[in-house]
Amino acid sequence: MHNSPAEDGVEEECCSLNSNPSAAVDSVLGQSALRLGLGVGSSQTPGPDEYDWSSFRDDDILHQQSNILEEEAEKMLCVGEKEPLSALAAEYQSGSPILLEKIKMLSEHYSGIRRTRGDGNCFFRSFMFSYLEHILETQDKAEVYRIKSDIEECKKTLQNLGYADFTFEDYFDTFIELLDGVIQGGEGSISAKELLQKCQDRSYSDSMVMFFRFVTSGEIRRRAEFFEPFILGFTNGIGTVDQFCKTSVEPMGEESDHIHITALSDTLGVAVRIVYLDRSSCDGGVLNVNHHDFVASQDAPEGGNPSRPFVTLLYRPGHYDILYGKLPPSLSLSLSLYIYIYISSESLMALWRRG
Amino acid sequence: MQASRARLFKEYKEVQREKAADPDIQLICDDSNIFKWTALIKGPSETPYEGGVFQLAFAIPEQYPLLPPQVRFLTKIFHPNVHFKTGEICLDILKNAWSPAWTLQSVCRAIIALMAHPEPDSPLNCDSGNLLRSGDLRGYRSMARMYTKLAAMPKKG
Repeated sequence: MHNSPAEDGVEEECCSLNSNPSAAVDSVLGQSALRLGLGVGSSQTPGPDEYDWSSFRDDDILHQQSNILEEEAEKMLCVGEKEPLSALAAEYQSGSPILLEKIKMLSEHYSGIRRTRGDGNCFFRSFMFSYLEHILETQDKAEVYRIKSDIEECKKTLQNLGYADFTFEDYFDTFIELLDGVIQGGEGSISAKELLQKCQDRSYSDSMVMFFRFVTSGEIRRRAEFFEPFILGFTNGIGTVDQFCKTSVEPMGEESDHIHITALSDTLGVAVRIVYLDRSSCDGGVLNVNHHDFVASQDAPEGGNPSRPFVTLLYRPGHYDILYGKLPPSLSLSLSLYIYIYISSESLMALWRRG
Repeated sequence: MQASRARLFKEYKEVQREKAADPDIQLICDDSNIFKWTALIKGPSETPYEGGVFQLAFAIPEQYPLLPPQVRFLTKIFHPNVHFKTGEICLDILKNAWSPAWTLQSVCRAIIALMAHPEPDSPLNCDSGNLLRSGDLRGYRSMARMYTKLAAMPKKG
């Protein structure tokens, strides 16, 4: 709390609360209101006794609270740059030896991480970027075709549930547009750098988070019977499926848990691997980095081999980031060769068409 | 800004089309500003608000629908979750439980539901909340009825 000058400023105002409570509150509120471009009850600062508390509204408190959250969130990009795993180790240098040991074990299979903003939307943002980046790198048109038909299904699900089209269609369009964009050779094609920029752009990024929230909520409601017992467990027996979706899935900033991940993975048919980095250790003293695979149910026919998840996220209690696996050298070579051949064939085609 | 305008325009069209569907709600967009709306809602039956027509004012932020509209009662109302002076409404969907799945129309429906089912444990109007919490239903109903008659019903004669 005492590191940055900005925070010290706030601290000072909090202290002056003792001497002149209303003035301090007014000035803090005034600040937040100014930043939001809103007017607050009175502009001059009244004395302690004459402060007009009737103009002190619930909204003001809400704005102040969302402002504080906003300020915290701004410290981290929606989606960060890729970092080597050593950056993660550096974070825990003076911390728990269990974590350090686990990070060392992680580095056998994983090469890097990409952080996302810790604003309650981190799971959806991590999933979104990881998936789109995978499509961009593999140019897997069959996968795009497949997921698009699933997205159409999601649309129908929402319509059947009584959602008005205009409440969700813009978010669906945003995601489809980007999905088309990462496939190269089209008119609106975007590069890896542009993909990152779009995912960092607040309103663009938030729109896509809303797409995932709608899709997740639709799936939970569609299979209410399946999800109900989990929701009851999650809410200590007091929540209904409808309430859960309304208060814990659809609103921005609501954190994701097992239920959300299962629903999203199932409905889009995308397997997700979550690697747990916490301080738990086994009884025998042997450390193990646990992971959990969410295997899309439609993806795994009984007895069949489910596809290996390519969306891999690192979970630390309360937060998700993207984890990058190590490619075996041969695979990484063939992948880049494939992209090279693909791109050159595209440009040849273009030449041929022009000629 | 662009996104919110487009969305509000869609809602506007929907409201025009569905006018007859919900006779308890009349949503009107400001002639010159699509970010300002008013609504007239009918007090739900079998409540002290029955027979009253209540006016709501909507101020819509630029980040709508990622952020909720600000809604308040313009008509005086005696209700535990409505501020007696400012008309501010204590309703979770207008605060932290907001999501773009809500529309101006469904917000009005939620407010009508709140009128029928007050939640005295999170009061903005403590007098009203205390009457309900102490079990004085008769006291609450007669106060609410009086203000409905005074403020929300057309004057006779």
